[in-house]
Amino acid sequence: MLLQQIINGIVVGSVYSLTAMGATLVYSILRILDIANAGAYALGAYVGLFSYVATDNLLLSFLIGMIAMGIWGIFVQKFLYLPLLGKSPLISLITSIGLFIFLGDFIRLWAGPQIKDFPADLKLPFSGIKTENLTIMSVWILVLLTTAILLLTLWYLITKTKIGLAWRATAQDLEIAKAMGINVNVVVAFNFFLGYSFAAAAGIMIGIMYNFISPTMGDVPAYKMLAIIVLGGLGNPVGAVVAAMLIGLIETLVGGYIGFFLPRDSIAFIAVIIILLIKPQGLFVRKNI
Amino acid sequence: MLKLEGIHVYYQESLAVSDVSISVKEGEFVTIIGANGAGKTTIMKAIMGLIRVKKGKIHFEGDDLTNKPPWVRAEMGIGYIPEGRRVFPDLSVVENLKVGAYTIKNKQILNQNLEKVFFLFPRLKEREKQLARSMSGGEQQMLAIGRAMMLNPKLLLIDEISMGLMPILVNTAFASIKKMHEEGVTILLVEQNAKKALATADRGYVLETGRIVLEDRADILNQKDEIKKAYLGG
Ligand SMILES: Nc1ncnc2c1ncn2[C@@H]1O[C@H](COP(=O)(O)OP(=O)(O)OP(=O)(O)O)[C@@H](O)[C@H]1O
Ligand SMILES: [Mg+2]
Repeated sequence: MLLQQIINGIVVGSVYSLTAMGATLVYSILRILDIANAGAYALGAYVGLFSYVATDNLLLSFLIGMIAMGIWGIFVQKFLYLPLLGKSPLISLITSIGLFIFLGDFIRLWAGPQIKDFPADLKLPFSGIKTENLTIMSVWILVLLTTAILLLTLWYLITKTKIGLAWRATAQDLEIAKAMGINVNVVVAFNFFLGYSFAAAAGIMIGIMYNFISPTMGDVPAYKMLAIIVLGGLGNPVGAVVAAMLIGLIETLVGGYIGFFLPRDSIAFIAVIIILLIKPQGLFVRKNI
Repeated sequence: MLKLEGIHVYYQESLAVSDVSISVKEGEFVTIIGANGAGKTTIMKAIMGLIRVKKGKIHFEGDDLTNKPPWVRAEMGIGYIPEGRRVFPDLSVVENLKVGAYTIKNKQILNQNLEKVFFLFPRLKEREKQLARSMSGGEQQMLAIGRAMMLNPKLLLIDEISMGLMPILVNTAFASIKKMHEEGVTILLVEQNAKKALATADRGYVLETGRIVLEDRADILNQKDEIKKAYLGG
């Protein structure tokens, strides 16, 4: 029972960590809160679903959804955030909330307001595990694997490559990074590409796990993502992953043992409030990537 | 090599640098001296492209820099030691140095430059893996100098090399830029420490509230009464 709950929590936490990673990366480099990242989560799920229906290939639909949202991210930063850079961060915040609301309505107009079913039979190359007291569904394995691959890729890029070095330098001192010969436009664009494609992957995985997607599916993640990145120490990717796992675990454990005396999503926020009351700076210090 | 033609720079509405013309010839060591708030840093940022020039032009080796982004200017061979060091706090020493050589594609040249910096500042080699934020002020200044050397710059812009350093370190810092100058790097140095700057440079400009008020050979400026009074402590 406990092991089962922990596994459930980690699966949920994996999706949360990808959801929060995009906004974490954006914060780390531009110091703005990008709520619209959760719009890429919903829109990415739709693109992923439509691609899957069209191609019947899960890997391909993941790639299409992620790349489409990545390109969308590049547009967003170029035409929305970069022109606002240097102005008050409140202006960017309000802009991103506006964009997020717009995206929800855009999906409603484009794909209709109804909930859409994600195909249940995914023909995964591996099957789940089922014993007497433990169930690991095959989609959970898919979620864990995808998350692990994406996070490891990100870690490798940031710490081991030349663009990663440019990225860290830019996050630490944008002005001096420019003067050292780093084309920060490319770095910021790359950052948004990855952040938005991660959000798309999270959206598609949620669609697969719960078998449905809807225009409002990004609403709760938008707020939860905020809670996670604050808890994880604003702009600290490792902190964000740990905070996401923690929220995932708390949600499932409380749900499993105490029962949902409140809506499931409120548990996460109550936990955040309690943690922030005890440690106002978040669980982790603000740290540069 | 470098030519500023009547540049004007504003912060929002307020004029910080007004009609400044400066030229630096290849191989020269030129200094701009001026009091707090005179506009020295602003001029450096304008040359590097970190702030917009409202009026006037900047030429480097015949090219018009005015609309080029900073990273292109770095690639053209302009090195920069910013005011207050500004090393990347959460990068290690060697990573900071690699960022300085970001535009250098040739691995061999990069390694040569790294060796050169480590030879000049053995302390940096000892602390290769240490995060810059955990180094002392003097070590960070060495790192800022080394980082600029990694580019093998043709022209090096230096903003207040002496700031916050104890006298003995000021001498070391000056010695290292003098050495770079002897190796053929053209240098533009802005300083509040006018005495040191004029003793090291070939030529100097005096900047007062955003305008150039004097220009002459450094040894002549050093002898002028008004300079002695205003900048050299009597
Ligand atoms: N970001 C800014 N916003 C508004 N005004 C600024 C800004 N930076 C500098 N200034 C103003 O521009 C003028 C020139 O500043 P600058 O930093 O170039 O002087 P400086 O000669 O480098 O001074 P110091 O010797 O103290 O470093 C000053 O009046 C300063 O107050
Ligand atoms: Mg200054």
